[in-house]
Amino acid sequence: MSDRLQQAIATLETIILGKPVQLRLAVACLLARGHLLIEDVPGVGKTTLAHALAQVFGLAWQRVQFTSDLLPADIIGVSVFDRSTQQFHFRKGPLFTQLILADEVNRASPKAQSALLEAMEERQVSTDVTTYRLPDPFFVVATQNPHEQAGTYALPESQLDRFLMRIRLGYPDATHERELLREGERRELLPQLAPVLDAEHVLALQAAVRSIHVSDALLDYLQSLIAHTRAHADIRIGLSPRAGQGLLRAAQAWTAICGRHAVLPDDVQAVFGAVAGHRLERRNSLDAADGLRLAGRVVEAVPIPA
Amino acid sequence: MSRMQYARIGSRLPARLRPLCWSLAAFGSAVLLHVDRLPIWISVFALGAGIARILLALRGAALPNAWLRVAIALALTLGVLAGFRTLNGLSAGSALLVAMGALKLLETRARRDDYVMLGVSLFLLLAACLDRQGLMRVPAYALQLWIDCAALGVIATPGALAGIRPPMKLAGRALACALPLALLMFLFFPRLSGAFWALPGSSQAVTGLSDEMSPGQIDELTVSDAPAFRVEFEGAIPPPRERYWRGPVLHSFDGTTWRRERGRYYLEPRVQFEGPAYRYRVTLEPHGHSWWYALESVVAAPDRRAQLTLDRRLVATHPVTSTVTYTATSHPRTVTHEPLSVLGRRYSLELPPGQNPRTLALATRLRAEAPGAGAYARAVLDYFVREGFEYTLTPPKLGSNAVDEFLFDTRRGFCGHYASAYATLMRAGGVPARVVTGYLGGEWNPLGQYFLVKQSDAHAWVEVWVDGRGWGRVDPTAVVAPERLRRGLYDLMPDAASFATRLARDNAWLAELVQTWDAVNTAWRQRVLQFGQSSQLALLEQLGFDSPRWQQLGVLLGSGLVLWLVWMAWQSRFWLRAARPDGLARAWRALGARYARAGLARGAAEAPLAYAARIGCARPDLAVEAAALASEYAGLRYGPAKDPGAVRRFTAKVRRLPRVPARNS
Repeated sequence: MSDRLQQAIATLETIILGKPVQLRLAVACLLARGHLLIEDVPGVGKTTLAHALAQVFGLAWQRVQFTSDLLPADIIGVSVFDRSTQQFHFRKGPLFTQLILADEVNRASPKAQSALLEAMEERQVSTDVTTYRLPDPFFVVATQNPHEQAGTYALPESQLDRFLMRIRLGYPDATHERELLREGERRELLPQLAPVLDAEHVLALQAAVRSIHVSDALLDYLQSLIAHTRAHADIRIGLSPRAGQGLLRAAQAWTAICGRHAVLPDDVQAVFGAVAGHRLERRNSLDAADGLRLAGRVVEAVPIPA
Repeated sequence: MSRMQYARIGSRLPARLRPLCWSLAAFGSAVLLHVDRLPIWISVFALGAGIARILLALRGAALPNAWLRVAIALALTLGVLAGFRTLNGLSAGSALLVAMGALKLLETRARRDDYVMLGVSLFLLLAACLDRQGLMRVPAYALQLWIDCAALGVIATPGALAGIRPPMKLAGRALACALPLALLMFLFFPRLSGAFWALPGSSQAVTGLSDEMSPGQIDELTVSDAPAFRVEFEGAIPPPRERYWRGPVLHSFDGTTWRRERGRYYLEPRVQFEGPAYRYRVTLEPHGHSWWYALESVVAAPDRRAQLTLDRRLVATHPVTSTVTYTATSHPRTVTHEPLSVLGRRYSLELPPGQNPRTLALATRLRAEAPGAGAYARAVLDYFVREGFEYTLTPPKLGSNAVDEFLFDTRRGFCGHYASAYATLMRAGGVPARVVTGYLGGEWNPLGQYFLVKQSDAHAWVEVWVDGRGWGRVDPTAVVAPERLRRGLYDLMPDAASFATRLARDNAWLAELVQTWDAVNTAWRQRVLQFGQSSQLALLEQLGFDSPRWQQLGVLLGSGLVLWLVWMAWQSRFWLRAARPDGLARAWRALGARYARAGLARGAAEAPLAYAARIGCARPDLAVEAAALASEYAGLRYGPAKDPGAVRRFTAKVRRLPRVPARNS
């Protein structure tokens, strides 16, 4: 199983060039049963990453472009009256898939956003009469453009908290940019890509991640990290208990990706920025990029209990 | 953050100023505890120093240099010396400490200095506790302690505690943890008899009776609500007419002043106690004299702190400078069949020759009409009633023949006038008499079940000798103003009382409030402040020890201490586990120390594999070794199986490692 995982990651690396850490974080997010928020300028390969993940992990996927006139029914689905049976029939929306790419999630109205975000949390959709379970695995990859602010609805903190991780892709370095320029559009390679895993494998991997050993010593460290964010003078709100659980799950997934059997402080530190970055907010600061720096400082400040 | 940003934030406290502000707060509030006892210039200096320190810190300006500080220190010392004439003692010491603490503010640079400021604050708190222990001040002391602890938390963990609430919360929790220990020590730490911390020469202002009485010299009697003493009766409570609390007995009279003549002793005849006995406990406020108050005919001295004099008073071996509590038994009714000694008769009949001639004439006239001493005593009382004497607290002043003027001219006076005139008449008529001063009555506090006797209950009366009966009390004031006896001074003379007293009397709920407060305050002083050796032994007895001894206190204290420690350990189990490094942690630290010699010390927040990777990058020759060691440590520390053997092997391996080879080897 672990070999397959490594193989999948290796395949992904051939598509997304020069982003090994972000790529592994995205995989870790999937394995930790979390949801991923990618925040970056257009054209750095957000969609490609989502598509590649779906392809390599063998997941059914849908893409929804969020716009300001998007309605909840456009995501969830709609009840249609079937004349032949004289009954309402629920036509499932794009949400009913294993991997959904919610593109530019901050462009949609809060109503549409919350429809998505509730589904993310509950992993089910309720219409007037029936509750429909979403498929399993269910993985949301949302993207947003941090620079485009006009006509957008920034996700409030409570909604941000539902994303396990927020990552940034960033521009490729010179070598990889050259490679991109030389070899052309990476997305064209995708359909030729053979899936390395399938949904069953993903579920098994997710289960395996949960059972990765967590020692008391590690929990001590994790708790002191969380406590530090709550006591820190410059941080407005510390990490929530949900964020703490997510941090542990993400660290376990990272451990699995690294092929080890027990979570180390290394793993916690590796995912801490992605897990805590969008949750931490400096007092008196409007700079969203600050969270990541704050998270880095927390990691540097909290000693590891020997 | 830069200072510009701080300026923008404005109200928010910069993190670097937090310890300073907290030590300022701790010191400032400690000074507030003393401010009413300090010379004003010291308070002003402390305030100025605090403001100056804040301004200097905000501007980032340099603190005053050493020479200036030495000069100020000398000036302050001289100032205190000039004001108090000493540097010793509680008040001068506190003043000096406040001044020097304020000066110390001007040289707080490092954390050490903040600790010093805290030490000063705590010491000031201690001094305040020594100075005054009233119940009203307890919340202030508790708050001060709380602030001090919070400041300690902020200073000890820079950057960790922001705002006001988190440090106060932490300090509150710490104090709550310490509370059981404090209680334990309070209850069971062996007390020495006598307060060893009592400071010498604490001259508190005391009020009370003196051992002289010259009623003609006073033209306005002030009515003070200050408490004189409190009395709890065990069992029966005497009726109002028996509640005469005897103080000094005055024998000698020079025409204007009654005195307690020292050195004039005579043997009193033995008395037989009759009627009911009353047993009671008196808690006496400090009054600066050595006598204690007791109901008439106290049976014996309560303990070794006092003696029973021949005229049946209690006299303590030391002046009452702090609150004392004693238990006494009294029989209001006594009888003597023995005659008064010759000396006693002479002293009790003595009058200044040639003074008050009209009084002597009156005495002779009345005595001739009366068949015996008892009849004469009654006749004089009748005279007071008949002649229209008036009770007042603002009598006219009297001259050298005070009794004459009072009896025949002014006819207005208070208890002292009546007692003096009556005793003079008695003596002039050949009946031995003496003036007794003390207190009459007392206010019943239903909440605390005790009588509160106030300074306004001060009274004077006369004791006359009747052969075959002995000394008997006669209160001439009682026949002139019977209300004085029945209902106390206030109902007789409401206008004489202060506005506050009248307010409290006229509002039922306010009066109740005053009584409640007095009861609570009394309980505080009796249960807490006066908790001493005997209370401790009584507590042991209540806990079921048959014959309480010191060893049992030790056992209780020890076992309580152990219980508390166990409780604390349970409370802080996470903390304890983190604090005590095990063998594995020691080995890991040793490993870090080993690489530190090669300039690759491990950061406190550096994870094991990341550390190994860093070592590998810096010293490729060490990469393999470091990676292997780090992953072995990580496996042992964070892995599932805890095999003690593996830990031992790892420890041994680390111990056997050679020194890190030099870079170019």
